[in-house]
Amino acid sequence: MSPLRKITAWLIPALCLLFVAGAVFKATRPSPGLDFKNFGTLPVVSNGRVQPLDSLARNALLSIHGKQRIPGDDAPATPAAWLAELNFNPALADTRKIFLIHHDDLLGLTKITRSEEKSYSYAQLLPAFPALQQEGRRISAADSKTWSPYEKALMLLTRNLSLYNQLKHALALPGQDRLESEFSLFLTDIHRAMAEVGKQDRGETFDQSAIDSASTRMTVVADWAPMTEVYTTPSGDDADGWKKLPESLIDAVEKRALHPATLAFARIGDAYRAKDTNAFNSAIKDYLAWLSGNRPGLLKKSSSETLFNAIAPFYLCMVLYVVAFLCAIVSWLWQGTTFRQAAFRVLLIGLTFHTLGLVTRMLLEGRPPVTNLYSSAIFIGWGAIILSTVLELFHRNAIGTAVASVVGFATLLIAHHLSLSGDTLEMMRAVLDTNFWLATHVVVITLGYSATFLAGTIAIVYLIRRAFGTIPPSTAISLRGMVYGVICFATLASFVGTVLGGIWADQSWGRFWGWDPKENGALLIVIWNAIILHARWGGMVRERGMMVMAVFGNIVTSWSWFGTNMLGIGLHSYGFTDAAFLWLSAFMISQILIMCLALIRRGSPQKINV
Amino acid sequence: MPSLKFLSSLRLTVTLLGFAMVLIFVATIIQVELGIHEVQEKFFRSWIAWWDVMPGAKKFQIPIPGGTLLGILLIINLLAAHGARFKLSWNKAGMIVIHSGILLMLLGEILTGLLGREAQMIVKEGEILNYSTFPREVELVVIRPDGDGLETVTAIPQSRLKDGAEFPFGGFSLIIRKHHPNSEILPEAEATDQFDKTRATEGLGKDYAVRNTPRETTDDRRDLATAFVEIIPDGGKSQGLWLLSNAFKSEQSFEVAGRSWKMAIRPRRLYHPFSIKLVDFSHDRYLGTNVPKNFSSKIKILNPDTGENREDLIYMNHPLRYGGLTFYQAGFENNDTTSIFQVVRNPVWTLPYISCAMVGFGLLWVFSQHLIKAISRHRKTSPAP
Repeated sequence: MSPLRKITAWLIPALCLLFVAGAVFKATRPSPGLDFKNFGTLPVVSNGRVQPLDSLARNALLSIHGKQRIPGDDAPATPAAWLAELNFNPALADTRKIFLIHHDDLLGLTKITRSEEKSYSYAQLLPAFPALQQEGRRISAADSKTWSPYEKALMLLTRNLSLYNQLKHALALPGQDRLESEFSLFLTDIHRAMAEVGKQDRGETFDQSAIDSASTRMTVVADWAPMTEVYTTPSGDDADGWKKLPESLIDAVEKRALHPATLAFARIGDAYRAKDTNAFNSAIKDYLAWLSGNRPGLLKKSSSETLFNAIAPFYLCMVLYVVAFLCAIVSWLWQGTTFRQAAFRVLLIGLTFHTLGLVTRMLLEGRPPVTNLYSSAIFIGWGAIILSTVLELFHRNAIGTAVASVVGFATLLIAHHLSLSGDTLEMMRAVLDTNFWLATHVVVITLGYSATFLAGTIAIVYLIRRAFGTIPPSTAISLRGMVYGVICFATLASFVGTVLGGIWADQSWGRFWGWDPKENGALLIVIWNAIILHARWGGMVRERGMMVMAVFGNIVTSWSWFGTNMLGIGLHSYGFTDAAFLWLSAFMISQILIMCLALIRRGSPQKINV
Repeated sequence: MPSLKFLSSLRLTVTLLGFAMVLIFVATIIQVELGIHEVQEKFFRSWIAWWDVMPGAKKFQIPIPGGTLLGILLIINLLAAHGARFKLSWNKAGMIVIHSGILLMLLGEILTGLLGREAQMIVKEGEILNYSTFPREVELVVIRPDGDGLETVTAIPQSRLKDGAEFPFGGFSLIIRKHHPNSEILPEAEATDQFDKTRATEGLGKDYAVRNTPRETTDDRRDLATAFVEIIPDGGKSQGLWLLSNAFKSEQSFEVAGRSWKMAIRPRRLYHPFSIKLVDFSHDRYLGTNVPKNFSSKIKILNPDTGENREDLIYMNHPLRYGGLTFYQAGFENNDTTSIFQVVRNPVWTLPYISCAMVGFGLLWVFSQHLIKAISRHRKTSPAP
C-alpha cells in the first residue's frame, strides 16, 4: 500500500477520534456564570431512584417537549438551567413554549391558535385547564385500551402538565422569594410556639398569637409537601430515608437544625432570584463538599450519571456509524483496502463508545445490560456489531463493517425514540427483580434478536447488490457463509434464551410455558431459524432462497420485539394510528419489498452450484 | 417405502414447522378477543383450530392444524427421520442429542397438560387454610354439621349441575331448577326484560334477578355461576327455591326434619394433608411511586402427620416446594393483608431443565463443528498474507 493510502486509512479514524475528544471536552468544561453544570450534579430521589437533577430535567423535557433543547434566544441553555428557572423564576418558565400538541382536536379544545412549531407554553394552556380536567375525568373512567388518539393525546398532555407542576414545587415554594430566612423563621416560630404550648399545658400565661402564627406557617409547609414528588434531602442512609424539601423542614423541628441539603437548596434558590452568581455557585460548592464528605457514594453516582448525560455516548456512536458506513460503501467502489480499513477502524471507535455507554448504564443501575425496551435496543445493536466485527476479521470485505454500522445506527435511533417515554434507568418491578435471570435469559434472547437481525441485514446487502449489479463469486460465497453462520448462532441463542425464559417463568409462577404473546414471539424466531436451517439442509432452498428467508427473519424478529407489545392496544380499532404501529408496519412492508428483489432475473455468469 | 420416505422427509419437517408458525401467530392475535385460556384449549390443545378471520363476526372461519396434531406429526416425523437415517457417529451424535432434547420437551408439555394442576390459595393474615381453590371452577356443596365442629361436606362438580338434575340426600332431595355457568345478578328493582322470571323464595337471593351471560375469557375476570335449587323432603312438599351463587360470600342454611344444613356454590377446593398459616405479608414500594419493590409472605407450615410447625418465607422467584406442591407468591389484595399463592402440582417440572441442557449442548456441538470446518476451509483457500 502506498504511504498516501496508508495515511488516509488512519486519517479518517483520527478525525473521528478528534470529534469524540471534542465532545468529551465540551461535556467536562465548567459552565461560565451561574454554575448549572454542578447544579445538575446534585442528587435527588425521583421515580423511585437516586438521580442527578440533570437527569430529572432531561427526562422531563423529553417527555414534555420531545427534545432537550428549549426554543428561543434567551432560553435556558441546558436542561438543568431550565429546571432552575422553573423553580426559581416560574413566571418566566411558564412562558416557554415547550408543551407539544400535535392533535388538532386537542388544540381546538384549548382554543389556542396553531403555531408553526406545535409547542405551547404553560401560560397559554392555563385558561384551558377546566376543559382539560373535565375531559380528563371522562376519559380516565374508560378502559385505556379503548382510548382514541385524541384521548391519548389529551391524557398525555394532562400528565405532562402535572409533571411540570410537581417539578415546579420541588425546590421552591412559589410566592416565597427568600427561602433561607423563611426556613429559619419557620424553625424559631415553631420552637417558640412549642414553648408557649408547654406554658399553656402547665396553666401558665402564654402567647396565643405565637401559636397561631406557627400554625399558619405549619399549614403552608404541610400543603407544600403533596405538591411535589421529588425527594431532595438524604436524611437517612438508604434510599427510603430521603425527604422532600417541606418534609425535611418538619424533620428539622426535632433536630433543631436544617439539614445541609435543605439549607443548600434554599440558598441556591435565593441566590438565583437575587441574580447573585457568587452566592449561587458557592452554595452549590458547599453542598457538594458536604456530600463528598458525608455521602460520597451518592455524589459519585450522580456525577457519573451527569457526565454520561453530557457526553451522550450513543449519539456519538450514531455519528461514527454513519462515517463507517460511508467508508465501507466507498471501499466497494474505489480504493478498496484503504477505505475498508478506515471503515473498520471507525467502527471500532464507535464500538468502544457503545461498550462504554452500555457498561456505564450497567454500573449506574447495578443491573445486567437489558432491563427494558430502551436498553434492549442498545444491546441488540451492540451484539450485532460484536458479531459483525468477528465476520469482518474473518472475511475482510467491508460487508461486516457496513452491516454493523447499519444495524448499530438503526437500533440506536430506535432507542432514542424509546427514550422519549421517560426515565430509561427506571427501577425494576418486583417480579423482574432478579439479576440472575436478567443476566441469563434476557441477555441470551436479546443476542438471538441481534443475530437474526444481522443475518437479515447481510441478506439485504446480498439482494440489493444482486439486483443492482453483479456479485463476484468470492463475495457470494462469503455472504452465504456469513448468513448461514449467523443463523446457526441465532438458532442457538434464541432457543436457549427462550427456554431459559420458560425456566424463569417456572421458577416465579409455576408454569414453564403459558403461550402468552411475548413467549410466542420468541418461539416464532426459534422456529423460523430452524425452518431456514432445515430447508437449507434438505436442499429446498439455495443461496437466493436462504437470503429471502433470512430477510423474513427481520419481520419475525421485529414482531417479537415490538409487535407483541402492541397487542391489545395495537390491534384494537384505535391503535392502528399509533406512530409505533405505523413504523413497524412500514418496516415490515419494506422487508417484503426487499424480498421481492429476489424475483429479478439475472443472467447467471456467477452461478455456483451449492 | 414411499410413505416412510415422506414421513421422514425434511420437506415434511419444514411444512409442519411452517404450520406451527401460522398457528402460533394466529393464536397470539386471537388472544386479544378470546383470552389466554380459551386460546390454549382451542388452538394448542386441539387437533384442528378454527381461525375466525373477522373476529366476532363468525362469518369466515379457516381450519388450521391445531397444536396436538402438529405436535404428534412432528414427533412422528422426528422419530421416522432418525429411524430411517440412524447412524451412530460423532458427526451425527450432536443432531441426535438436539432432537432427543426436543422430543423430551414436547413430551414434558404433553405430560404437564395431563398431570399438572394449578390452583390458588388466598389467605388472610392470621388465617390457617388446609385447601386451595380452583379460581375458574365452582362446585355446589351441601354441608351437614355433625357436632364437635366437624362437618360432612358433599361437593357436586359443576359438570353435573344440569337443569332438572336431582340429588338425593338422607331425608331430602336437592333439585337443580336452573343453572347458569356465568350470569349477571341484579336487585330485582333494577332488572330488565332480559332477566329470568324465576325468583328465589328463600335465603340470601330472595330479592335478586338473574340472567345468563357468556363465559368470561380474560385473565382478570371470573365467572359468576348461579343455580336455583329446590329442597324437597322425602315424601313431603317443597321447602322453597334458593338462589345459590359464588357471588354470595356466605353459606345459606335450611332445615329438614329438625336438622339444619348449609349449602353454597363456591370455588372448587383442593384439600391438602397440611395447613398453611399466613403470619405476615409485606409489600414495599419504591419511594414516591406505586412500583412494587418486593412482596413476601411469612408463613407457617402445620402438618399433623409429621408434627411439623415451622416458619418459611415465600417471595418472588423463591417458591416453597412442599408435599409435592409448589407455592408461588402470585399476588395480594385487601390493602396488603391478604396474600395470594399460586399452588402448582407438576410432577414433570424437571423435564424442561433437562431438555434445555440437552438441546443447548447439542446445538453448541453441531455449530462448533460447522465453525471449525469453515475456518479450516478458509485457511486453505486464502493462505496467510
